[in-house]
Amino acid sequence: MKKIIWFALAVVLIGIIIGIFMWLYAFRKADISVASKKADIEIKAADLLKNFTDNEDTANKTYLDKVVLVSGIIDKISEDSTSVSIYIKNPEDMAGVMCGFNKAAIDKSTLKKGDEIRIKGICTGYLMDVVLNKCALEK
Amino acid sequence: MKSKVLLVAFLAVVQLANAQKYIAKTGHVWFYSHTPMEEIEAHNRQVVSILDASTGDIVFNLLNKSFEFKVALMQEHFNENYMQSTKFPKSTFKGKITNLDKIDFKKDGTYTAEVTGDMTIHGVTKNITTIGTIEIVNGVITAKAKFKVIPKDYGIQIPQLVENKIAKEMEVTVDIPYSAN
Repeated sequence: MKKIIWFALAVVLIGIIIGIFMWLYAFRKADISVASKKADIEIKAADLLKNFTDNEDTANKTYLDKVVLVSGIIDKISEDSTSVSIYIKNPEDMAGVMCGFNKAAIDKSTLKKGDEIRIKGICTGYLMDVVLNKCALEK
Repeated sequence: MKSKVLLVAFLAVVQLANAQKYIAKTGHVWFYSHTPMEEIEAHNRQVVSILDASTGDIVFNLLNKSFEFKVALMQEHFNENYMQSTKFPKSTFKGKITNLDKIDFKKDGTYTAEVTGDMTIHGVTKNITTIGTIEIVNGVITAKAKFKVIPKDYGIQIPQLVENKIAKEMEVTVDIPYSAN
C-alpha cells in the first residue's frame, strides 16, 4: 500500500515538473537582441546586399532566420520611442543593410555616421535593403 | 552623343524633382488580436513605404519575419504555421490616395486620406479601401491608418485548438514617418 502511495506521489510530482517546463517553454519571453547568440554567418554588408540583389530566393534560403554578423560603414542612425535603426551602406552603393535594435539593447552615444561597425542580427529578408532585427553591436 | 546623355540626365533630374517622392524605411506597423482568452500584439518597425505626393501612389512593403512578439513561441507559430513566412516572406500594399486634391503636402495640418488598393498577405491579394490620415508637422509627413484584417480572407488557417485565443479580425495600425527624397 505504501509503495503505491509513493508511486502515485512520484507520478504527480513528475507531472507537475513537466507541466512547469512546458509552461516555461510556451510562455518564454522573446529575446530583445541576439547579444548572447553566436553568429551563424559573418559577411561584409555590401556582399550580403549583393547576394540578395543577385538572387533573392537563393539568398532567402541561405540567410533567413540566421544570426548574421555584418561589417560596414554607418550611413545613418535613426530612432523612435522604442527602437534604434542603424543603416549600413557604402557611400557609392544605392542600398545597404538596415539593422533594427531594441532601444534597451544599444548604447549609440559613441556612434556616428562614417564609423566602421560590426553588427549581428537575425536576417528577416530584403525590401529596399537587407533587413536585420534584434540586433546587437559586436566588438 | 554627349548632348543626348546630358538631355537624358536632365530629364531624369526634372522628373525626380517633379515626383515629390517620400520614402520611409523604418515605418511602424502593428497588429492586435483580442479575445477573452488572450491578448496578442506584434510590432514591425522596419516597414518600407513610398509615397508619391504628385500622383497619390502609395506603397507599403514589410517582411513578416520582422514582426516582434513578446512571447517567442507566438512568433514561431505566426511565421511557421499561419503566415508561412519562408514561402511568403513579404506582405504588401500598393494603392492610391483617391482624394489627393484635399491634401496640401506643403502645408502643416492633419488631412483625411481615402486610400484604395491591393493588399497581398500570405500570397493572396485583395482589394481594400480604408480611411487614413496624413499628418504634416514642420513639413514632416506621417501617414496613419487603422483597419481590420480577417486572416481567413487571406487563406490563413487557424487550427480549432487555438481558435478561442486568436481573434477572427486583427486590428492593424500603420504609423509611417516619411523623409523627403
